[in-house]
Amino acid sequence: MSALQRMLEEFASLGAGVGAARQAAARSLQNRGLPGRAEENWRHANLRALDRIQSFLPPVASATATSGSAAAGGALTAPDLPPPLPGFLRLVLVDGQVRSDLGSAPGTLPGLAVGSAERRPTAVTETAVAQTTALAAPSDERLGLIATLFAPAALTLRVSKPLSLEIISLTSPGTGASYLDLALSVDAGVSCHLVERHLGGGAAGSFACVRLDLVLATSATLVHQRLLAVDQQMVLFDNLHARVQERASYRLQQIAVGGGTARSTAEVQLQGRDAALDWQALAAGSGRQVNDTMLTVLHQAAGTRSEQLFRAIASEQAHIACNADTRVSAQARGAKVAQSLRGLVDGVGAELDLRPQLTINTDDIQARHGATTGRLDDDLLFYLLSRGLGPDEARALLHWAFLGEVLKSIEPVALRRDAQRLAAARLSAAPAPELLQ
Amino acid sequence: MSTPVLQVDDLRVSVAGTPVLRGVSLTVPAGEVHAIMGPNGSGKSTLAHVLAGRPGYQVTGGSARFDGADLLAMAPEERARAGLFLGFQYPVEIPGVNNAYLLKAALNARRRHRGEPDIDAFDFLNAVRAQMRTMQMDEGLLTRGVNEGFSGGEKKRNEVLQMLVMEPRLALLDETDSGLDIDALKIVGRGINSLRSPERSVVLVTHYQRLLDYVIPDRVHVLARGRILRSGDRELALELERRGYDWLLEEQSAA
Repeated sequence: MSALQRMLEEFASLGAGVGAARQAAARSLQNRGLPGRAEENWRHANLRALDRIQSFLPPVASATATSGSAAAGGALTAPDLPPPLPGFLRLVLVDGQVRSDLGSAPGTLPGLAVGSAERRPTAVTETAVAQTTALAAPSDERLGLIATLFAPAALTLRVSKPLSLEIISLTSPGTGASYLDLALSVDAGVSCHLVERHLGGGAAGSFACVRLDLVLATSATLVHQRLLAVDQQMVLFDNLHARVQERASYRLQQIAVGGGTARSTAEVQLQGRDAALDWQALAAGSGRQVNDTMLTVLHQAAGTRSEQLFRAIASEQAHIACNADTRVSAQARGAKVAQSLRGLVDGVGAELDLRPQLTINTDDIQARHGATTGRLDDDLLFYLLSRGLGPDEARALLHWAFLGEVLKSIEPVALRRDAQRLAAARLSAAPAPELLQ
Repeated sequence: MSTPVLQVDDLRVSVAGTPVLRGVSLTVPAGEVHAIMGPNGSGKSTLAHVLAGRPGYQVTGGSARFDGADLLAMAPEERARAGLFLGFQYPVEIPGVNNAYLLKAALNARRRHRGEPDIDAFDFLNAVRAQMRTMQMDEGLLTRGVNEGFSGGEKKRNEVLQMLVMEPRLALLDETDSGLDIDALKIVGRGINSLRSPERSVVLVTHYQRLLDYVIPDRVHVLARGRILRSGDRELALELERRGYDWLLEEQSAA
């Protein structure tokens, strides 16, 4: 039985009352099928991992489960979680269910609604594609649909005043699968700081799936940091879709170090005039990790700006890929695009595939892009050796400096330290402790 | 007679199968400053880099001893920890590694090698600041990436700063004067002179004698065609300045 068939059968077993959005997701998956490696944008993803997942159902599968239950991951306590970030509200989900005993209760979080799976605009991405047919946008939310199918509670959050929020999504030990399905909108002129951590792990082949839909209204600001750090035994698929409206600004910093198999699919639509994206992503893998990142940026209005920076280190036999596809429509006059993808291979069996793509349909644009893959520069290495640093220390220092382009600007400091610690754990030689600050 | 700091005997080096050094012999006693001059492509930088342990060179014969120890058997970092410093002609930029961190890591590597404890952070900063004043460098450079965005002159001064902080037993300075204006040249010369002591030695690799106006060498050697063709005192450098290198090459050809 294929993974898709098994998935749909499990979904059917949930019975009546699962909601229209879930049914639509099931239909969409059935019609479109799961992605395959024959598709260009999926050729580096380890989709075979889907076949190894025993069950897609979360441990407490319910179409109506909402919040407050301590059933999921009941043994977990707050000390198991990272220390709270100063000034941030915290929302904790264990196996997809809100755990108010571990974080803020939903009622204390203004604008949060739990269980409203119908809130998602139908086929958001398809609508966007229709608007930009000339661009032939490769939008693909198929794996995100899995989260919509099985998430015990879809979450919507409307941010109408400044908010700093930390969301921790945890897969409890021994769990087969966990899902997060969140739609977040930031009202006009409002600033939001969102920290999103994906942690934990279950048995080999357990599965975490995330769907995140974001809307930034006019002049809204969103700083969004994602630490994708599930256990190395896990399969992690996440799907992010953001719509950025006029003069709104979206800064996304993503640290992808977790999961034996991980695929991160993001699409950002710069829909309004002068909308801006600052995307910084770091991927570090060791062992036999497979980490695939797909970013699509659609410049759809005049004066839009995007800066895209990807840094990766593949150690041992890890395979890291990044496909950054930027499309500038004819309406996006005066757009600015800067794309820099760089990776270091640090293992005989390690592999890196970086694919910058830029499609421009207007003459009035400033664009630059570059991609480099290679090993550490021998000149840099010798310089440090000539100053008395040992080979391991020198290599670690250079790796750390390389990743520092993404790590150094993460705020708050406590989060940066966590991100540094996670990244350091994936390197073949650990950086000196005093660098982790 | 005491052991020289550096003793090179009949050193032969190839790069990708092509001989570059064809039997270089050189003795640098403690406390002396030696200048190695020569035309482009003569092997001056190769000599400096081979002595510092840069990979990519094949030593096909001869020996090099540093304080009596077999230099060529040591890894590059071991040479540095033992007190050999190479000042680069083209210092690399290392974004993300700040100057202060590298200086401290380098100094502590040397101290540990000598069995000394790591330097106290306060003492380190005081020492570095004092040397930065000698080199007329802005303290803000300490927190910047190594040579990141530095001008050519700042990079060279940073090399000399590293040398002063490391207090090496032997400094090999590879064309540290190249690309410097006259003021920067004086500052670099002052830095090098401040290192001079009866325990330390300096080998200056240079094209021109102008640096030798500020750092008076004890010996001058002319390296050409992979060999030391002539050695002398400062007068030799002045003669080279007047006459160039051709007469020496012609003399050698005739011989």
